[in-house]
Amino acid sequence: MTPHDRREFLALGAAGFAAAFLEPDPALLFPRMSAETPLDVAVIGAGRQGRAILGELATIEGARVVAVCDVDEARRGAAEKRASGAKAYASHAELLSKEASVAAVVVATPTHLHRAIVLDALAAGKHVFCEAPLAHTLEDLAALSAAARSAKTVVAAGFQGRANPIYLLARSFHKAGALRELATLHAQNHKKTSWRTPGSSPEREKELNWHLDPTLSLGLEGEFGAHQLDVFHWFTGRHPVFVRGSGALRLHKDGRAMPDTVRVETTFEDGLAATWSGTLANSLRGRREILAGEMAAFDLAWTHGWMFKEADAPTAGWEVYANRQPFHTEQGITLIADATKLAAQGKLQEGVGLPFTSLYYSLADFVKAASSGGKPACSFSDGARSTAVAILAHAAVATGKEQAIDPKLLEAL
Amino acid sequence: MLPRFAVHAMGTRFEVVVDDGDLVRARAAAEGALERIEECDARLSAFRSDALIARANREAFARPVKLDPETFELLEACQRLRDDTRGAFDVSVGGFLRAHGFHPPLAPIAGAPSSGFQLDRTARTVRFASAGTRLDLGGIGKGHALHLAADALREAGVEKALLHGGTSSVLALGAWRVAVGACVLELRDAALSVSSTSGRARAGRGHLIDPRDGRALPTGTTCAVVARSPRLAEAWSTALCVLDARGELDGAIEAALVAVGATARRASVDDPDSARVFGAFPELFTSAHAALTLP
Repeated sequence: MTPHDRREFLALGAAGFAAAFLEPDPALLFPRMSAETPLDVAVIGAGRQGRAILGELATIEGARVVAVCDVDEARRGAAEKRASGAKAYASHAELLSKEASVAAVVVATPTHLHRAIVLDALAAGKHVFCEAPLAHTLEDLAALSAAARSAKTVVAAGFQGRANPIYLLARSFHKAGALRELATLHAQNHKKTSWRTPGSSPEREKELNWHLDPTLSLGLEGEFGAHQLDVFHWFTGRHPVFVRGSGALRLHKDGRAMPDTVRVETTFEDGLAATWSGTLANSLRGRREILAGEMAAFDLAWTHGWMFKEADAPTAGWEVYANRQPFHTEQGITLIADATKLAAQGKLQEGVGLPFTSLYYSLADFVKAASSGGKPACSFSDGARSTAVAILAHAAVATGKEQAIDPKLLEAL
Repeated sequence: MLPRFAVHAMGTRFEVVVDDGDLVRARAAAEGALERIEECDARLSAFRSDALIARANREAFARPVKLDPETFELLEACQRLRDDTRGAFDVSVGGFLRAHGFHPPLAPIAGAPSSGFQLDRTARTVRFASAGTRLDLGGIGKGHALHLAADALREAGVEKALLHGGTSSVLALGAWRVAVGACVLELRDAALSVSSTSGRARAGRGHLIDPRDGRALPTGTTCAVVARSPRLAEAWSTALCVLDARGELDGAIEAALVAVGATARRASVDDPDSARVFGAFPELFTSAHAALTLP
């Protein structure tokens, strides 16, 4: 926390803090966009993430999916069905040349294919939302960043935490001094799954399982960890200077080269460390980030979030309204947006989780920015910096050697 | 022993058994199917605040809520089922269930528990006419999820698999033997759903209500339906429980079942292969859950 942040927190006092906690901008929680002039969107890549994106875009009033693209015929057909009325293409170049009305492109292809598609979409003058991580090599990342910088359109990076109302609320607490000095940062992504996709032929199966190929994918630490390490970069406003990592194959000994269990540690200049663990062998506690400070800790789990206070932390007036949930010997204060209103209506429990998915907020934010010419929650350069950290984390896991993160490299992105 | 894969969703446990010689492929295919079930849970679950249906329940009285094509098509099917079953299957009773709990009185309750909902096909939206309306897809959601999961398995090239949600909704790809109470059925590319008024019973009342007047149904009725579509099987098994308890199983209902692809002939125990619909045979179906017979 900067001295300025701390002064801001102290000046807010209990009443001001209560207002910040209990009454966030409803427009943030329930985004509304004009249905009269919807943004024409194309979705490129209709695999797992593309499917989820199409599902969310179909419910966003300000967006209309008019074209979908995937090289795989079955996926293309399923995408066409999911975005009824949309035209389907096997090639992004053909889509861009034939769909002049498309204003925005959402890129959800495998990471190593982002470069060509994003560059072509930007050259065609489209707004672009690129799924994260943005690239699998520093070379691709530099090329994409240069193009994004010179683009006149909105170029957003799909790091979802930055548009998530619970994360925005928690971050505003952190900025106001609720945690004070940070002691530890830890994130995990644990899910029991082989992370494999069956294919119709060995060749197709290899293509579909690109994320198990260490030369094309950034592994667990990049494909999942990048999103979570970005939360730490966003909350702290800075980036680490070193990254270490290790990985092992603990469960899925099916011939893959990629470890299924990974540990990464990034270190900031002042010694603060952020650890991340990922495994495909066990699901306990799923995906979450924990930021622990002198006075409190946040436990953020995408659709839910809690604050755990230290016994010596000051008590604020708003806590009388707070919803609490027990966790073994601890008690977490639920981070609920719009809590005052819900408490008055006796509906506090209904508001415990987010009313929309985290992906919905990220896409709705992009659609709003592209429609209004505003700034997206996650700029391409912010996303590129977190992607660069992920690329170096992957190198650390692959080589077992500590990687220095050059601040100049990040500044240039 | 065939490999089994599972996920918790929609307040129950879904399981997929894949009969494929290659364990790596079987696992990947099953995970793809379970992923579709999780996606379904994210849209339809009554247990998640960020589900699309929860969003509709919060907002659809104030304004039309835009749906994705898949959910819209499901709600259209629910409306058709409501008509076909004379209102015995109705997903718009969620508000009533929330107000009265799962064990309302056996006597009629003033005011209609179901208020319906309007769908706008052009705008692909849902809207409620009443502030108290809530959609509860508990009577069809598992079947819908199994339908989508089976699509994923077929896309992955799987020809033989058994899927179930909480064992009360079952879908067979290929031929499988499934026991319901004492009766063993062979399911071949077909779905089975079992509903019972005796489930979660309290003081002689089960958890099922008649959506038309809100009355709880007395315990003692168990219905199983076999159909091509798992969601039709699930919806009809619930509706048949209601219609049977109210003495309304007749030729018109049988005709409605024929129209959706189920044979409305009552079956004998000796002739399970020809059976498609079992209604009101508590002596046959003593359990609301199917026992899965696996090789």
